[in-house]
Amino acid sequence: MITVLLFSYLAEEAGRDQIQLQEGELSIGELKEKLEMEYNLSPMDQVMAAINQEYVTNEEKIKRGDIIALIPPVSGG
Amino acid sequence: METRYSRQMLFPGIGKEGQEKLGQKTVTIVGAGALGTVLVNHMVRAGVGKVRLIDRDFVEPSNLQRQMLYDENDAKNHLPKVMAAYEKLKVINSEVILEPMIEDITPLNAESLLTDCDLILDGTDNFQIRFLINDVAVKHGIPWVYGGAVSSRGMFTAIRPHETPCLRCLFPEPPENRGETCDTAGVIGPIIHIVASYQAVEGLKILLGQEANYNPYLEHFEIWRNQHFQMNISDKKRKDCPACGHGKYEFLNLTGEEDTITSLCGRNSVQITPNKERELDLTELATRFSPLGQVEQNRFLLRFHMGEYTLVIFKNGRVMVQGTDDPVLARSLYAKYIGA
Repeated sequence: MITVLLFSYLAEEAGRDQIQLQEGELSIGELKEKLEMEYNLSPMDQVMAAINQEYVTNEEKIKRGDIIALIPPVSGG
Repeated sequence: METRYSRQMLFPGIGKEGQEKLGQKTVTIVGAGALGTVLVNHMVRAGVGKVRLIDRDFVEPSNLQRQMLYDENDAKNHLPKVMAAYEKLKVINSEVILEPMIEDITPLNAESLLTDCDLILDGTDNFQIRFLINDVAVKHGIPWVYGGAVSSRGMFTAIRPHETPCLRCLFPEPPENRGETCDTAGVIGPIIHIVASYQAVEGLKILLGQEANYNPYLEHFEIWRNQHFQMNISDKKRKDCPACGHGKYEFLNLTGEEDTITSLCGRNSVQITPNKERELDLTELATRFSPLGQVEQNRFLLRFHMGEYTLVIFKNGRVMVQGTDDPVLARSLYAKYIGA
């Protein structure tokens, strides 16, 4: 099982800030696509991702037990 | 002894030696909006030797809720932000050398405006300018601290070129902000102070060379939902990064022959920055425009209202056209009233 933490508008769009998935092997990019489809989320190609609090790119593979955070970058100021 | 900096010198991380060191440093702050006013307040009060503050905008009533150095008179007088800030800062700490600059940073002037300093602090509100800052910072080996805030959330991270990942290692291209700017999604004051204060403290550590205490994270706060997330980026420098890996400064090299025309997101305004700096005689323009519409002038800019549009004209030829987000219409108003 993997745990996905959603931040900002992603949490609003999904209606929850945490999702548990049964999948084993998939990449961050594949996870993003899957969530976009299932929860009808805004495109996530530029959303930052971390696995167990380490920054990762879309190619990174997820392992069972990982905690993934998806955080949209913040622009304003 | 009770001196201005006595409390800061009692703090072991700074001390007397650190205080002297700060006094010899130069910091450039890009943007004098919400983050920028908090950043410059910290740097000036802390006694950094020289502080350069760069911003293209003027004070408006909607700024007062969170842009801590401005007051109602500044908004009423449409003062350029850096000049309004300068008036406050010079009486906050007269020992600091202040360099207020009313400038729009473009690829043409970025290197001259952002170099000759020990640190750059990001008080900007969009990723295009941050990628330009990143190019200059990497090219010239100047550390900089990114910060962003919108709604009730914010993030920051410190970038020390060739030691930490640079902005392009983390984001190969400028992220689209999904239209989520402070002008469209709103923002609350406390997140600004939180993010900018974290940026300021990283800035102080960098100025003092306190490596053991450098923050290795990109941090994200969501203060309305009580979330705080730290993301370790310390070994994420990319060998194939165009900027810090290959020395290709693509945002700095985006110089064209054309004037720069930018639609200011969420503000129903278009900004036109001429390719070559001009020297406009604002008084002469005021005389010419007064039969055509209402004209307001201060030492730095002129506002010309005609019908649904307002032209805000700066001395160096830069113009903000308010009342439209159509670049073509803005360009034609510029040509009509200011001339090519």
